[in-house]
Amino acid sequence: MILIDSLAALAILAGAGFFMAGTIGLLRFPDTFCRLHALTKADGLGLALICLGAALLAGSAGEIVRLVLIWLFVVLSAATCAHLVARHARADAAAARNTAVTKETRP
Amino acid sequence: MNAMYRKGHDHAGTTTAQLPVRARERSLRAFDPPGPDHGTTPAFPIRPFLPRSPRESALRRRLRRLAWALAVTTGLWLVLTEAGPDSLAFGIPAIALAGVLAFATTPATRWRIAPLAALRFAGWFALQSVLGASDVARRALALRMDLAPGFCDYPLRLPQGAPRVFFANAISLLPGTLSAELEGGSVIVHSLDLRRDTHAELAGLEWRVAALFDLLPRADHAGSPAGGAA
Repeated sequence: MILIDSLAALAILAGAGFFMAGTIGLLRFPDTFCRLHALTKADGLGLALICLGAALLAGSAGEIVRLVLIWLFVVLSAATCAHLVARHARADAAAARNTAVTKETRP
Repeated sequence: MNAMYRKGHDHAGTTTAQLPVRARERSLRAFDPPGPDHGTTPAFPIRPFLPRSPRESALRRRLRRLAWALAVTTGLWLVLTEAGPDSLAFGIPAIALAGVLAFATTPATRWRIAPLAALRFAGWFALQSVLGASDVARRALALRMDLAPGFCDYPLRLPQGAPRVFFANAISLLPGTLSAELEGGSVIVHSLDLRRDTHAELAGLEWRVAALFDLLPRADHAGSPAGGAA
């Protein structure tokens, strides 16, 4: 089963690569919103690939179903969290703009 | 259509003073991005949910929802514990509690999913999420990050509830877009690259979500996303 083992290793390595890219994006991207893109998308696929690799090595159907469930819930919560963080950042930026305007117009 | 879709009208990002110079340049450029005109995307019809069947009483509907919630939590428990007989002492109360909580905390929305459209959506979505992740990874690793970020509005026509939430979550997993807010009748989308035709991409996704929830007029099912929305 060398073939399956190496396929699994390849998937897990690729998944780790996407996690790395997501983290680099998180550090390099210019603002909160762009950073959220890196987190939701790259990490989602990274986890999918790691789960795929683990599923190839899994001993039972139950394990595979559990891996799918893990991926599903993580991706769902990542999308929801990104939405909430973005909403909060928008409200924050709007508030910051308002205070900046009042400071400038003060005599 | 153009009036409904104001591209890059409001770049409510991190305050620009906090950004490095090059990024500040980019984030300012996003106010007035180059890009195609979006006045051409044709709207496709979305029909409302089918009316409730009048023969089914309110009590029956509630019982059916409770039964679904219990079925889902039972399935989850069996998968997580591998259905060992000694796990049932904890399992039966836990299943009942989770099922009742799920029933009590989720609003009663009615929606149905078209199975064939769901399969088609799953395949398309898997491919798109690979493209989305590769796209963002490429931008993150490039020496000169290729970004033209900004916001745009997309007017929502999908019905309230599950279809809208599903649409907003799917936007976040698609290449280059992130749903930032559901506000009134539209979703505010952050795009990594406003030079792309974000509006057409969202229209294509909206069409697919409408097909998934069986909200397209019947004759339209065999076609492809309206006009240039593919």
